Amino acid sequence: MRSLSELHLDALTEVFNVGAGRAASSLSEIVADEVKLSVPRIQFYQSSEIDANSLFFDNSMLGAVKQQFNGPFDATAMLLFTEDRALEIVRDMVGSQLSIEELAEFEQEAMCELGNIILNACLSVMADMLGLTLTSSLPDYFVDSSLAITRQIIDEGDRSLILALHIDLNIESRHSHGYLVFLLSSSSLSELVAHIDGFLSGIG
Amino acid sequence: MNTLSSSIEETILPGLERKIWDAINLGLILIDANARVVLWNTWMAKHSGIPVEAAMGHSIESVFPDGVSASFKVAVRNVLSRKLPAMLSNALHHSPLPLYPLNTSHRRQERIQQSITITPIAADAQHGFCLIQVTDASVSVKRESMLKSTSEKLSIETVTDGLTGVFNRRFFDKRYKSEFERAQRQHKPISLAMIDVDFFKAYNDTYGHPAGDNVLIIIANSLKTQLNRSSDVVVRYGGEEFVVILPDCSVEGAKLVAEKLRLAVVELNIPHEKSKIENHVTISIGVASYLSGATCNAKGLLEIADMALYNAKNSGRNCVRQGSV
Repeated sequence: MRSLSELHLDALTEVFNVGAGRAASSLSEIVADEVKLSVPRIQFYQSSEIDANSLFFDNSMLGAVKQQFNGPFDATAMLLFTEDRALEIVRDMVGSQLSIEELAEFEQEAMCELGNIILNACLSVMADMLGLTLTSSLPDYFVDSSLAITRQIIDEGDRSLILALHIDLNIESRHSHGYLVFLLSSSSLSELVAHIDGFLSGIG
Repeated sequence: MNTLSSSIEETILPGLERKIWDAINLGLILIDANARVVLWNTWMAKHSGIPVEAAMGHSIESVFPDGVSASFKVAVRNVLSRKLPAMLSNALHHSPLPLYPLNTSHRRQERIQQSITITPIAADAQHGFCLIQVTDASVSVKRESMLKSTSEKLSIETVTDGLTGVFNRRFFDKRYKSEFERAQRQHKPISLAMIDVDFFKAYNDTYGHPAGDNVLIIIANSLKTQLNRSSDVVVRYGGEEFVVILPDCSVEGAKLVAEKLRLAVVELNIPHEKSKIENHVTISIGVASYLSGATCNAKGLLEIADMALYNAKNSGRNCVRQGSV
């Protein structure tokens, strides 16, 4: 199995930061305020290595936006935010007062849209820079504990490899930290590595 | 069986597709790679007022006579170029397209609330399309705002006394506990004033229950208006009994507040001919204060306030008595 070197991770960090920039400008237009989005670092795990503590500090409630991407490699992408911080942002945007448990349908839809903007921006930049074509499902949104979501990540069939991107999101005065998690099979990882190698030799 | 279904697929379905698009209760627009409309279903025609013939072949941005939101245009361009599906949520965009409800006399005034998904569809390697689905979200928006206002109303009702409008016992139990704990934590005093309306049973027997209820409402309002700090709360504790929580208030302060409350009720001058002490309605008050370092707990302080009230009753009523911790 091929794996990701430091060089590969650096290249991906660069790719995703360009994507984050694209997402931030889309989000800025919607909220009519400056949005800053960055991917300070990427970590790579085998699903057997992780437990809830490796990704999250405690068993907090998380909001997750999930899309399936297909193409030269297949990946499940999940954008995870601690629910209270993400909610604050959505509440600022739509102006409502509900708690996590009663998060209304249309606010969930708004979360879905925000996740979709960030995921699509990152994936489309990746497709452009690595010269590949990806398709995607529409996003799903769900709320669950970090334990349950971690279990779901570990149980994701043959997709035993995990790329975890740390994401910092700043909207107005709100700061939020989240993860963009990619679940890949080892054959998909090989494809990804091959494309990154192609990209690196192109710029080298 | 197989022959039958495959012949249906070949002969009947192609003609049915158009009818299905038009029967669907959802706006459907299909555009080609140049953003030109190649499908415009009946739902779209009805809600936009733009007939199929007028829409076909025109670019999606030019087909609507009035404002298409910028976010919609950006989303469509993104889907066409990136080939990844996108959505416009109702919460963030409300009404991106000029679509209007049917059967209203003010047809042109208010747009339908919309939720939009935009999906790339590849016919083959050369021909990419983009399907725009528009859902009418008006009903769910209305339902949600109704549920929200109901839930806000309910959360107020669950802590309010139905008769007097001041806080109820349920609220007291929660607030008193948290205020007491805060006082302990921050080494600050907290005081309680237990209040009982004097000879209230006699009042009810004389003037009737509706009049008695009215007295409780007037007294509750009077107590409320006497308190200046938002942290001081009046609670209807039971029947004709009220309790006031006075956070960060020493025993001297509590006695002053209690005396003010007692006088305020005297000044209401509500006639009470069966009162054995005055010819108007009066209240008795028992005060108790917790000071930092004292050993009593929340329940203990409440009992002391209750005892002080009993003391006030035994000392001739219409007076304030202080309990000692």
